[in-house]
Amino acid sequence: MQDAELVERAELEGLLTVTRERGLWADAYYRLTRNRLAMAGLVILIVVAGLAAAAANIHAVQRYDPYMDQLYDHIQEAPSWSHFFGTDNLGRDNWARVLAGVSISLQIGIGTQIVVLFIGLMVGTIAALGGRFTDNVMMRLTDITYAFPDLLFIILMRSVLVGRDWPVIDNPKLQIILAIAFVNWTIIARLVRGQMLSLAERDFVLAAKALGASPWRVVVQHMLPNSLGPVIVAVTFGIPIAIFAEAALGFIGFGLPPPTASLGRLVSDGYAYVQVNFWVAVFPAAAVAILMLCFTFVGDGLRDALDPRTR
Amino acid sequence: MTAYAIRRVLWLIPVLWAVATITFFLMHAVPGGPFTQDKPLPEAIVVALNRRYNLDEPLWKQYLLYLWNLLHGDLGLSFRGDRDVAMLIRDGFFVTAQLGILAFLTASVFGLALGVLSALNQNGPLDYLGVFVATIGAALPNFILATFLIVIFAVNLGWFQILGWGGPEKVGEILDPSAWDVKKLVLPVVSLSFLPTAYIARVTRASMLEVLRQDYIRTAHAKGLAEQVIIIRHAIKNAMIPVLTLMGPIAAALVTGSFIVENIYSIPGVGRAFVEAVLRRDYAMIMGTTLFYAAIVAVANLVVDLLYAVVDPRVRYH
Amino acid sequence: MRAAKWLLPLGTLVVLLLVAAACGEDEEGTPTATGTPKPGVSPTAEAQAPPEQQEIIVQSAQPEFYDPHRSNFEQDIAIARMLWRGLYQLELTAEGGVQAVPAMAAGEPTVNGNVYTVKLKPGLKWSDGVPLTAKDFEYGIKRECDPAVAGPYQYLFWAGILEIVGCEAYGGALGTADEPKTPTDAELQALRDAVGVKAIDDTTLEVTLAAPKTTFTTVMSLWAAFPARQDVIEQYGDKWTDPGNIVTNGPMILTGLTAGAGGQVVLEPNPNWALEPKPALRKITVKFIDDLEAAFRAFQTGELDITNIPAPEIPTIKADANLSKQFIQVGAGRIWSVEMQMKDEVLSKYEVRLALSRAIDRETLVKVVYNDAYLPATYWMVQGLSGFQGNAAFEDIIGYDPEAAKKALADAGYPNGEGFPTLKITVTDRPDRKAEGEFLQKAWKEVLGIDVEIEAVDAKTRSQTFNSMNFDLFPGGWQIDYPDPENVLIGLFDTGGGNNKYECSDPDIDAKLAAAGTETDNAKRIQDLQEAETLIVTKLCGVAPIWQGAFLYLADSKMGGMKPNGQIDAAMPGNWCPECWFVKAQ
Repeated sequence: MQDAELVERAELEGLLTVTRERGLWADAYYRLTRNRLAMAGLVILIVVAGLAAAAANIHAVQRYDPYMDQLYDHIQEAPSWSHFFGTDNLGRDNWARVLAGVSISLQIGIGTQIVVLFIGLMVGTIAALGGRFTDNVMMRLTDITYAFPDLLFIILMRSVLVGRDWPVIDNPKLQIILAIAFVNWTIIARLVRGQMLSLAERDFVLAAKALGASPWRVVVQHMLPNSLGPVIVAVTFGIPIAIFAEAALGFIGFGLPPPTASLGRLVSDGYAYVQVNFWVAVFPAAAVAILMLCFTFVGDGLRDALDPRTR
Repeated sequence: MTAYAIRRVLWLIPVLWAVATITFFLMHAVPGGPFTQDKPLPEAIVVALNRRYNLDEPLWKQYLLYLWNLLHGDLGLSFRGDRDVAMLIRDGFFVTAQLGILAFLTASVFGLALGVLSALNQNGPLDYLGVFVATIGAALPNFILATFLIVIFAVNLGWFQILGWGGPEKVGEILDPSAWDVKKLVLPVVSLSFLPTAYIARVTRASMLEVLRQDYIRTAHAKGLAEQVIIIRHAIKNAMIPVLTLMGPIAAALVTGSFIVENIYSIPGVGRAFVEAVLRRDYAMIMGTTLFYAAIVAVANLVVDLLYAVVDPRVRYH
Repeated sequence: MRAAKWLLPLGTLVVLLLVAAACGEDEEGTPTATGTPKPGVSPTAEAQAPPEQQEIIVQSAQPEFYDPHRSNFEQDIAIARMLWRGLYQLELTAEGGVQAVPAMAAGEPTVNGNVYTVKLKPGLKWSDGVPLTAKDFEYGIKRECDPAVAGPYQYLFWAGILEIVGCEAYGGALGTADEPKTPTDAELQALRDAVGVKAIDDTTLEVTLAAPKTTFTTVMSLWAAFPARQDVIEQYGDKWTDPGNIVTNGPMILTGLTAGAGGQVVLEPNPNWALEPKPALRKITVKFIDDLEAAFRAFQTGELDITNIPAPEIPTIKADANLSKQFIQVGAGRIWSVEMQMKDEVLSKYEVRLALSRAIDRETLVKVVYNDAYLPATYWMVQGLSGFQGNAAFEDIIGYDPEAAKKALADAGYPNGEGFPTLKITVTDRPDRKAEGEFLQKAWKEVLGIDVEIEAVDAKTRSQTFNSMNFDLFPGGWQIDYPDPENVLIGLFDTGGGNNKYECSDPDIDAKLAAAGTETDNAKRIQDLQEAETLIVTKLCGVAPIWQGAFLYLADSKMGGMKPNGQIDAAMPGNWCPECWFVKAQ
């Protein structure tokens, strides 16, 4: 009782600060929520994604069908009350199209990273823990994939897959997700491998092994959670990169088939009309920029929150 | 370490061979060939064309023939005009390299300057400007940026030109001042360098801020050293380390990612030739440029890995 | 030619200004939607700028070959036309048609049964001073037929067009894909000698056809029949078209070349150009730019004097006082349609095709998707060809009528689109073609209630889809090779025709086309072709026409002397007479 009082008084007088004990994740969460920029990014993301989801389901939000409502008397209009973002070359409402595009781009961005995470974790872990030969093989596999010019691989994959009536892989969105993921998993793989390699020498791992934990348990319960930090950050940064990649693909003509328009496709189509009506390009570009920034801020925040060195 | 390095270099060969093989067979799996067109050529002509370019041989034979020629340094002929692929790549790369190097230098100089100034002026107006520029550069696709630059600065203000490359097209012309046309250089270089500038600025700023907090900076202040000396001799040097590790991937990205800029400004570089080759099914050109890029990236990769090992002693290669 | 040969089928060199100059009208390029031409303006009627200003820069898509016998694409042919000149040259007539007039030839050919004898003008020379003889023409034509050269246009000399004896046999010497042959050198030489082209002496060329044809002089003016220098080609091999090696007989010579994307060629006057007029321009730089948006902006910054422009920019151009005066729109010899695979279960039904065709509002399509750059069309034979019938003949039968469309679909057994399968439309991944696909998708959904899926792919993949006949709906068309109506029909609609990928097969149509192929009376021949067109369009046999194309250019107001090519080969019109071009005095 006396000690508690003493502590309390000391705290009040600023002589003593008691830090609560937290686990790794709770601590990270605490630090993340204190990061104003990251929180702002997260909030904006939620708002934008929410708006996109609302538009997909509530007609009052979407106002026009993004594909079929082609109003030929209202082509290439500047923003107005009837068309918040103006109209495009076929008289379609830009607001509806941008929101649809946000939804698609998010799907592609996140979908890509899920695949990337999966492949990267697998390859990286196997490489780090499988012994020297396996490591070599995995790393050469990574080298080959890394050396392969991304664009070529994506174009080739799309060209080979397009138009064929194969069951699952028929979906163009899936094709793009797989294509982009296949050229981007190497970063995660290397990261995981690097993390695992340095963790493997750490005391707590050696201790776990000494205590007789099975390799599987060591990996899953001890190593993976500790290596996930930078991986999560990389994956978060990977989302806007994937969105960008899809935009570039759309620019050279290998994006999603019309009329579905991802933000990238909207931007590159807008490029063709930029001197006629630059609004068509401005809004999707701004949307890409906003998504990009938000993910970057959140990624920065996550990195600061999870990085043990900045404690 | 040396053993590791040598082994990695030797591994380059099978890696490149694998890339070549995958490319070769994927390339032939893509629908349409070099002579496919909406108005189909009569069969006899297609037969004659295929005979001329050995495309009527079985695929495995063509593959081996290609490898054989490759080992002799012969990259084959482009279907477009029967030009030597090696020569086309060399000429194209000369231009792409110029563009990449100029963009790299621009990004480095401006990125560093912006980052340092931002950090020194933290939360001041200069900082906000720096952060703003950095974020815009990182968030806008470069073709949109390029379009706006063109419309504003070239079409409306007439300050710059936008067609072709403003530098020498042959190696011998480098020192010839008439081969350089600055008006044409500015916009492509700016378009390409915006993104790396943004990244370099951000990383530099973060790094500088961290360095400025360090004890040894405080010690230097306590010692009474002039502000500028502190900054230049101690702060910047140490702040550069994380930035340097960023330079590798940036350099590679500049060289390989210049396609869009080359397309918009009609620059005869190798990035653009590459995608065109894919679209045209120009097999020899596709193989040549793919191998070329793969070689650059693989070597750059190797160098970065080795540097990584030098810099971070915890990384142990076995 | 099939449209969409390359990413930018319209991309090549420039057209010209109307020669209204000579007639005293406003000379600054009044836009003409249908290309009514004013032939033959003498360039000296206007003041020219001093010689040091006689240099221009023009835009073109990137060519493959500078060898006329290997030229395949419009842009290659366009440059070939500036470097070489054939026996005959195409020119516009006062009525707007096209005729072949003697160029290197002294006059019309003498016809004796199947044998056509052409005499050359005296004193003709190559650019290096060596005399031009009939042997060079013999070599040129035989070269086009040579399987080792694999000239893509040698079929102009095969059965069906202008059949020269022995050419097809020579060209087919390597057999087929299923049965390849490897002939010996002796066999090849024998086949070559059997080709019916012979130089009797230095100024007389004898051509033996399988049967007499009225299109002789027209086809002989094409690039496939350009002469070539055997000694130069044998000396330099594949490098013979490089500047310094290349020898040409046309008004210009090739003096500079930077290959590859973003490159250029430089053309200068041929000092030994035998005909009149002599070129006024000192230098023509042709820059290879495939991105028309970039080209348009380069025109605005003054870096290009003549360029193709993309249709979306038309509103911007027309709104600008300066640009609108430099804008030229010339109807092209190209027809675009929705091609339908007749083998498909639903598309084989006439009512279904009729429904699809009548649901398309062509006028709005052209206005919205192409900014009124093109002409809505329900006909197939393009305007500018003899025998043109126009919309009047077909509008009421297959033209826009939503009620009739709905009724047709109901008649076919799919009222309101019920039970109708989802069809696929294959478009090129380009903004305008995609917009067109989206327009059509919406039109069919709105009027007929059916779903159509859009597949947007790159040009080669799309061509492959077409050639393998593996498509449902395919927006595509035809661009004429030479100015005769047979070129848009024969081979495209006869059963088993080489270009008949939509499997149109109708005995009446076959009969008409066969008759036209052998008819020697020109008037009767044209009538046969018209009747064939009527059958094809009214039965929608594989195609539902939607628009006739146009070429869109900007030409700097300083350009003068450009003679219209008309709607044929207008990929580079005006280049029929580059020697007529000049820069006006400011």
